[in-house]
Amino acid sequence: MSFWLRLGRLCLDSLCVPIAAPFRHASLIRMLVQREIAARTSGTLLGKLWPLVQPGLQVLGFWFMFAVVYDMRNARGPSFLQYLLLGMLPWLCLSEVLSRSTGLFREFSVLFARSPFPLEVLPSVVVVIPGIVYSTVLVLTTGWMLGVVAALKAVLVIPLLLLWALPLLLLCAVIGLFVRDFGQALPFVLTLLMYVTPILYFPDMLPPQVRDWMWLNPLADWMTVIHGLLTGTAFPMNSVWRLAALWLVLLVPGWLLYRRTLLHVRELL
Amino acid sequence: MADTIITLAGVSKSYRSYAHDFDRVLEILTGKARHQSFHALEPLSLTVSKGEVIGVVGKNGAGKSTLLKLLAGTLQSSTGSLSINGRVSAILELGASFHPEMSGHDNVYLTCAIQGLTRRETDAAYDAIVAFAGIPDFMQRPVKTYSSGMLMRLAFSIATHVNPDILIIDEALSVGDGVFARRSFDRIMEFRKAGKTIFFCSHSLYQVEALCDRVLWLDQGRIREQGTPARVITAYSEFLQQQSAVVAPPEAAELATSTPSVASVNPGVPRVLGVAVRVDGRLAKVHTIQSCRNLVEVEIRFRAPANLPMPSVGVIILGGDGRFIASAGTVNDGVTLHTGADQNGSVTLQLPDFPLLKGCYSLEVYLLCERGLHVYEKVRQVAELNVEQKSLELGIVNLPHQWLPH
Repeated sequence: MSFWLRLGRLCLDSLCVPIAAPFRHASLIRMLVQREIAARTSGTLLGKLWPLVQPGLQVLGFWFMFAVVYDMRNARGPSFLQYLLLGMLPWLCLSEVLSRSTGLFREFSVLFARSPFPLEVLPSVVVVIPGIVYSTVLVLTTGWMLGVVAALKAVLVIPLLLLWALPLLLLCAVIGLFVRDFGQALPFVLTLLMYVTPILYFPDMLPPQVRDWMWLNPLADWMTVIHGLLTGTAFPMNSVWRLAALWLVLLVPGWLLYRRTLLHVRELL
Repeated sequence: MADTIITLAGVSKSYRSYAHDFDRVLEILTGKARHQSFHALEPLSLTVSKGEVIGVVGKNGAGKSTLLKLLAGTLQSSTGSLSINGRVSAILELGASFHPEMSGHDNVYLTCAIQGLTRRETDAAYDAIVAFAGIPDFMQRPVKTYSSGMLMRLAFSIATHVNPDILIIDEALSVGDGVFARRSFDRIMEFRKAGKTIFFCSHSLYQVEALCDRVLWLDQGRIREQGTPARVITAYSEFLQQQSAVVAPPEAAELATSTPSVASVNPGVPRVLGVAVRVDGRLAKVHTIQSCRNLVEVEIRFRAPANLPMPSVGVIILGGDGRFIASAGTVNDGVTLHTGADQNGSVTLQLPDFPLLKGCYSLEVYLLCERGLHVYEKVRQVAELNVEQKSLELGIVNLPHQWLPH
C-alpha cells in the first residue's frame, strides 16, 4: 500500500473511529455515563441535577464577583460579564475533559483488563458529561444574556470545541499512561494557559507587543471565534483556518499514537 | 464455506518484554520494535463451522487460554487475521468484566452492553439472568461484597443468556456448588443441542471426548494434532503417559495425598453415601489379592433427589503411576439405577476372577449425571488393591483366552 493511501486511510480512521464509537456502542456509553452520574450524586437531595447545578452556581459566582463586587460594568462597559462567561464556560469544559483524559486508561482498567471491552469508546465516555452539562449551561447563559438566536448558535460551540480537542485528548491519554507526572502537572499547565488566554480579560488589555504573539495560542483563537460567533461581531476567519490546520496536523499523530497504545494497554495495566 | 463462523489465518500471539520501560514508549512513538517476544501462540490457521463443538487440550502453557482469549476478544493477535461471524460469549475468568463497585444489577447491564446488547435486549434477558444465577436478593449490592460462588453464578448466567452464537468455555463446566454446577452443565448441553458453536477447553479428556466433534491438541503454541476426539485424545493420552514416565502427572501426585473422603455435601444434588470394597466378601481398605482368583466387589451407596434424573455410577481402576487401567460405568453398560422411598440407592460392581496381573492398583468412584458426563461427586482412592500372582504372565492384564492345539 502506498504511503499516501495509508496516510489517507489513517486520516479517515482517525476521524471516523472515535466519532463512530458513540453510535456503535451507544448502550455501553449510556450505561457508563449513568453509572458515573449515579456515583457522583447518589445520596444527594438534588440527585442528577447536581452536574448542572455546579456550573450554574459557577455562573452565579462570576456574576456576583464581576458584576456586583467589582462592578466591571463601570470599568469596562456592560459586556464584560458576557465576555467572561462566553469564554469561561467552554474553557472549563475543555479543561475538565483534558485533565480527566490523562488518567483515561487507568480509570477504566478494571473494565477492560480482562474483558472484550471496546477501548475506542473511552474518549467518548469522558466527553459526554462535560459536553452535555457545559453545552446546556452555555446555551442557557447565552440565551439569558444575548437572546434566542445567539443561544441557538451556542449549541454548536462545545461540540465543535470537543471535536477540535479530540487529538489533544488522545495525546493526553497516551502521555498520561506512560508519564504519571503528566496527570499531576496538567491542571497547573491548564491554569497557566487560562491566564495567558484572553478569558478573564479583553484581548485589547494586553500590551501590544504581547498581543502580536497571541496567534501562537490556539485557545486565544478559540476565544475570538466563540465571541465572533455568539456576539455577531466580525467572524475571524484567520483564527478558524489556524485552528483547522492545527487540528489536522495533530489528528493523525494523536490517533496513530492512541491506536498503537491500545495494543499495549491491556498488557501494561 | 457458507456456514463458516470462525476463520483464523496465520493468527499468532506474542507477549512483549522490554529491557527498559522507556523502550515501550519509544516503540509506540517510532513504530519500530524494541522488544523481545515470547511466543504464546505460533501462527495458526483454523476454520470452524457453525454448530461445531471444538475441544482444546494441551498441557499448561500450551497456548489454550491464549487461543480462547483471542477468540473472546480479550487479547489482540500479534499477526494474522481473525474473522468471527457472530456474537461471542466467553466463560474464561469468571467475573472478569465486573466492576467491583457496581451492583450486580448494574454489572448485568454493563456486561451485556460490552457484549453489544441494547438496553432493551438486556431488559428482556434480565429476569432470566437473575433467576438462573439464583441471587435475586443480592442484585442491588456491589459485587465486591459477593462470595466467589455468587460471582461465578452471575458471570455464568450472563454469559449464557446473551444469546451468543459462539460460546467459549475454559474449565468451567463445574461452576459454583453442586446444584448450580448441574444447571450450568445442562445449560451448556442446551447450547450444544441448539447448534451453537462451542469452544471447550478442559483437562478432563473424558468430557472433551464425550462432548466435542473435533479436538485441537495444542503443544508449545502450535497445533500438534487435530481431528476426531477418539484419535486426538488417544494420541494426547499417549503423550501424557510418555511424559509421566519422566515426571509424575498431577493426577498421580494428587492421588498419593488424597483421602477417600466425600468431597462436598450438597443436599440438592446426588451424593455418594459410602463405598465398600470387598474381596471374596471380606471388607477392607487395603486388599492383597491373587490375580485371576478373587472376586472383587465395589458397592456404592448413594442418595439421588427425586427432582433430578437418576444418576449413573462409574468406577476407575488406576495403576500405581496414576494411569487409567480400566473403567466400568452404568451408562455404558446400560444399567439403570434405582432408589427407594428414602431416595437412597446402591449398586455393586462385580469383577470376578480379578484379571489384573501383579502390581499396586487403586479405585476411584464417580457419581455422574444420567448421561455419564457431569460429575456430581468423585471419591478418590476408595481402596488399594495389591495384586500378587504365582504364574509368570507378563503385562498388566490377563485377557480371557484359550489355546486350541491342532
